[in-house]
Amino acid sequence: MPDVRSRSVKSLDTAAEAGRHQREWFADLRGRVAAGEPFALLNADVPHEIFRTMDIPYAVSQWWASLVTAKQRSGHYLELVRQRGYPDYSEQYNAVTLGSAFGPEPEAGPWGGLPRPDIVVCDASGDVTRKIFDIWGHEPGVTFYPLESAAENEVPVNWWELMPHRWEEAVGPARLDLLTAELENLVRFLETTTGRRFDESRFREVMALANEQEEWNRKARALVARARPAPLSVVDSIPSVMLPQWHRGTEWARDLARRFYEEVRDRVDAGRAACPGERARLMWIGRGLWYDMGFYQRFQEEYGAVFVWSMYLAIAADGYIRYGDDPMRALAARFAAFSDQLYTPPWSSEWYVKEARSHGIDGVVHLVSDDPRGSYFTARALEAAGFPVLEIHADNVDTRTFDDDMVVRVGQWLEDVVMA
Amino acid sequence: MPTALAALEEAYTRRGSKDRADARAPVVGYVGADVPVELLTAAGVRAFRLTGDPESGFALGDRYLGRGVDPVARSVLARLLAGSFGDLDRIVVSHDCEASLRLFYALRELHRVEPGSGLPEAYLVDILHLPHRTTARYNRRRIGEFAARLEAWTGRPLDLAGAVAAHDERRRLLAAAAELRRAVPARLTGRQFLAVANAVLPVDEHVALLERLLAEADQLAEHAGRRVFLSGSDHDTPHVYEAIESEGQVIVGEDHSFGGLFMNEPVGAGGLDALAERYHHSGPTAHRATAGERAAHAAEAVRRCGAELFVAYCRAGDEAPAWDFPEQRAALDIPAVLLERQEYGRADLTALRKEHPCPT
Ligand code: SF4
Ligand code: SF4
Repeated sequence: MPDVRSRSVKSLDTAAEAGRHQREWFADLRGRVAAGEPFALLNADVPHEIFRTMDIPYAVSQWWASLVTAKQRSGHYLELVRQRGYPDYSEQYNAVTLGSAFGPEPEAGPWGGLPRPDIVVCDASGDVTRKIFDIWGHEPGVTFYPLESAAENEVPVNWWELMPHRWEEAVGPARLDLLTAELENLVRFLETTTGRRFDESRFREVMALANEQEEWNRKARALVARARPAPLSVVDSIPSVMLPQWHRGTEWARDLARRFYEEVRDRVDAGRAACPGERARLMWIGRGLWYDMGFYQRFQEEYGAVFVWSMYLAIAADGYIRYGDDPMRALAARFAAFSDQLYTPPWSSEWYVKEARSHGIDGVVHLVSDDPRGSYFTARALEAAGFPVLEIHADNVDTRTFDDDMVVRVGQWLEDVVMA
Repeated sequence: MPTALAALEEAYTRRGSKDRADARAPVVGYVGADVPVELLTAAGVRAFRLTGDPESGFALGDRYLGRGVDPVARSVLARLLAGSFGDLDRIVVSHDCEASLRLFYALRELHRVEPGSGLPEAYLVDILHLPHRTTARYNRRRIGEFAARLEAWTGRPLDLAGAVAAHDERRRLLAAAAELRRAVPARLTGRQFLAVANAVLPVDEHVALLERLLAEADQLAEHAGRRVFLSGSDHDTPHVYEAIESEGQVIVGEDHSFGGLFMNEPVGAGGLDALAERYHHSGPTAHRATAGERAAHAAEAVRRCGAELFVAYCRAGDEAPAWDFPEQRAALDIPAVLLERQEYGRADLTALRKEHPCPT
């Protein structure tokens, strides 16, 4: 019996490569910003492809928050938010990143610290995100550019079939017109404030690279869904999928996605398994437990239970690909309803059922955090389709609320329900 | 004949239920501050705003929406499932805050997967608030879609001009009634004003009672007591007003959608364009405005109503108002207290009982 380590093991070459690249990229970004280039801080649901096209250095708020959390620093940054009188219990993902703007010694942050952004961009989802970014926009030298977060009255259910080519039908013209116009304005704003140019041919190239990257993720997802036993667990796949996602539209990210696919294929061909004694295939719903990636492997040794599915590979496979002759509208289609794919029924609920079926899932562990996002209907749809669901409650950024008893509860559920 | 105030207060006790007008007209329950009620009136439907009830349980609301959502929405959903609002033909929901949107999604999904729940069809009116032309165009489109949908439901054209004129008149009279609480001493308590503004009546009857209330103004009692401006979460019920006013305070102004916030400019004669613009610019609400806009508004409103104490009330699950507080406090020259993570329908008044309530 190999020992099951409580820290995660990055066993894929692409995961190691993605981690190494991330450090290099960030060091390079810090160097460019120190040399006077503009720096943009974006929310995950903001179309980065614009910034990529214009070669404006940017980082993603959620990535930074996950790094801070992995370094056990989120409590510190939330405390800085509290010291300014703001709530430390609200939308912690963005609050942690805001907290790094308040630090007296920014360079004391992880990896030399987050440089001060010139531009911060978010979509105005929920009640709080825009407020947080707006507060940030009042820091010296920072400009805030908000995008709307619009909603649709009626939508077709089968978004994952429509999105690649028939996104107009899936998202609807009202939201597409709005975001397309906002993005055209964003380009003009960036041209004006940074002096950089937006070349249409470069934009088409970036869009094509992003689609290629996600197509490789799609092929990898298909392999993971089919292979028995699972060639890898979510711990292996998350870094190889997530980190390149922040570099969408580069050759590096496209090539890494291809190499990830090849690694998965080689493992399947060689009969390698995350857990050769696989007896149960588990689905993870919710954000990743960044500060405790070992959690996902704790159930392998005792139960032969492997987490084979998390949203990160699956949403890369289904959530981003958009083809079409009008690249700005296609880009708007990528983001105008992005989070609905994961969080809004009927899209979310039906998609999870489709994924659970295609991956041969035996049980679902659902991380419910306080942010209110349609999770009941996801669980309900999975249960209605015959999948046992265990809900655990925690907020993945705030280590103060996570509970070690979760491990015990999951084990009990595996014994009593999934493997009974 | 009872006084107009008594009649309005009586009508307020029927909140969350339909008025007595025309029994043949379709009944619409609506959710949130951004439903263009003028269009509902123009369509000839009986419409009332759905409100929660902190005194009855809302476990089903918790189950479907999760406990991270403003409890008002959870309570409204539980009451809908319990049939507390009577028979509704439609539900119209606005995107005035995240809780309303999540409530819409839950209603839409329950309607789809649990037809036995007996919920009527829900319709979303997606009015947005970024102060940009892109958003204005989007809102105009959504207002037009909603108007067309109402005509399709009722099978008859809208009487928009008449409806807008009636609502504008009501708005003008409510603004005049708000002056009564700004008087020193106040001639209406906050609790009374809540009833005056949210009495469940057809618009024309409401207008008639407001006119009578203003005519009877000199018979209204005087209310001394520390003058409080109440900021923060929406108050769909009088519970928190009653708690605060029971301790020698009088709420002379507020900035939420059931109170004085929405008595702004009339829509006027511009048709759907003007209606779209008015709803685009409504507020500034805690859920859609920036902390800076909220602070500027608070400073102006506090000055106008002569408040002596600023209370920011934030319900647990309704986190937006807490982000406004530091800027609001900095913009004010009166003491300010923050009541954070308050239970629905309750207020922990310990901080208000201190002689010098500022936490700093
Ligand atoms: S059960 Fe899985 S993890 Fe444990 S030894 Fe066997 S294969 Fe390895
Ligand atoms: S700090 Fe104390 S003295 Fe100063 S304004 Fe506030 S309550 Fe009054």
